[in-house]
Amino acid sequence: MEGSVPPEPWWCTMRVLIQLRPSPDVVAAVADPDVTATTADVADGLPGVVLDPSFTPVAVPRPVPAAAGGDPLSLNQSLTFSLSADDASVMVRGEISDDELSTRVTLLPTLRNDVVGVFADPVIESNLTCGGDAPVGDWHDVERLLHVAELHAEGLDGSGVALAVLDTGINAAHVARHLGRDLLLDKDRSWNPDGVTGRPGEFEVNHGTMCAFDTLIAAPRATLIDIPVLLSQRPGGSALDGLLSDAVAAFAHLRTVLEAQPAETRSLVISNSWGSFSPRWDFPVGHPGNYSDNPAHPFNLIVASLEQAGADVLFAAGNCGRDCRDGRCAYPDRPIAGANSHPGVLSIGGVDTAGHRVGYSSQGPGRLALRKPDICSYTHFSGSKAFGAGEPDSGTSAACPVAAGLVAAIRTRWPVSALSPAQLRTLLRRTADDRSDIGFDYDYGYGVTDTLGVLASLRRRATRVA
Amino acid sequence: MRLVTVRLQSQATLAQAIRRLGLTEEEVDSGYGLVLIDPGQDLYGLRVAEEAARRIDPAAGGGPYSDPRIEPYGPPD
Repeated sequence: MEGSVPPEPWWCTMRVLIQLRPSPDVVAAVADPDVTATTADVADGLPGVVLDPSFTPVAVPRPVPAAAGGDPLSLNQSLTFSLSADDASVMVRGEISDDELSTRVTLLPTLRNDVVGVFADPVIESNLTCGGDAPVGDWHDVERLLHVAELHAEGLDGSGVALAVLDTGINAAHVARHLGRDLLLDKDRSWNPDGVTGRPGEFEVNHGTMCAFDTLIAAPRATLIDIPVLLSQRPGGSALDGLLSDAVAAFAHLRTVLEAQPAETRSLVISNSWGSFSPRWDFPVGHPGNYSDNPAHPFNLIVASLEQAGADVLFAAGNCGRDCRDGRCAYPDRPIAGANSHPGVLSIGGVDTAGHRVGYSSQGPGRLALRKPDICSYTHFSGSKAFGAGEPDSGTSAACPVAAGLVAAIRTRWPVSALSPAQLRTLLRRTADDRSDIGFDYDYGYGVTDTLGVLASLRRRATRVA
Repeated sequence: MRLVTVRLQSQATLAQAIRRLGLTEEEVDSGYGLVLIDPGQDLYGLRVAEEAARRIDPAAGGGPYSDPRIEPYGPPD
């Protein structure tokens, strides 16, 4: 249910390897390269385990002390390895439901005396893209992967859709130069936090310019609203950070933008490629003033109320992925915090143009809602050149506006009156290209956005409505 | 400055918030002003001096709430 933290889904599972010691004739069959043994031959019906029948059982040799009288339990000695039917064991693969994992792992060897052990079977990925790596493809690859031509063929190009970029401000001339086309930026509906003096579309080229560029890949006719919320003027602040209270004020401004639109054509997409890296700036979890884990914090409330009023709110999941986290990440675990993990927003993880999760993309569970990130979009490609000619548009900072552009494109013909923000989020999750074995996972969420799936679903919906 | 909340009638002003919370004009961030957080609850936010935030009667206002630094998520370091 939207608006509350959902329970852990029953279908979340953990992949496991199960080591068995079946009868010697079965071990011999598995070890014999001329015989094809199946999982069912080795381990039919392990209670609570969904075995993977596509996995061919593997014989595991037994370590044997090389010297007579050696300790049979020690691996810290000279060993030989025996694949004889009396010594070897067999490995099969399966999944155990998360909610009964510890019970099953403990009980399996006691219920079945052929089970030697149960081990984690983590996803292994080689050469994940990390910060500092060269771009993987360019923004035309992203255009192709997003099926922008197909979107535009159906009139979905962002025309008439307001797309707010809350960031460090936009340099419109830079965006237009690198896109090779003009862009629409609404100065009247743009807004500066107190003390920020720059003019909409005329800020220095930086992070916000990258985000603006990336929104326009899928939605070139969207109307940008420039909200430089990260240009703090407070004492002690750096050039590129802000305070959450500035974001509260920005969202309050965006409510006036949304409510000024006619109800039947209302749409507002809000792209947020920022967050709080450290619990040091927050009250502790459990304190009534806490932000990271507290749905009653004023910013989390205003996010909820704006979503309820019809805004599509997207947040970057963050760059605290376990494989190569940003050096600023200070949460010891569960780095998708505060509004970035809000149940009413889309939390966007990052994949490169090869479709692989970038190593820095934050993994769930989220702090406000567990099932985060929601979906993934593209990052780490050569695009805006906001950070220099050879530098990629990177971070989940780039993935979020790429996804926001897709949402804005959809909104061209599907305003909130026809498709609520909650329905649109469901559509994007349901059609996402699943990258795990079964459904949702904490690396990719529901998967990578799939434009063709979205279009097919919208066509079916249009037929039903007609 | 601290972020606090107050419930007022719709179309409320900063002056009304100051009166409701028992503060002085010098104790609030007038540049920030009074921000509508949730119209469904007539809930507003404002920034006040740290000492003033401690003085607010819980029956009149909520908070103080954390106001953490926010930073761009990219490029990753």
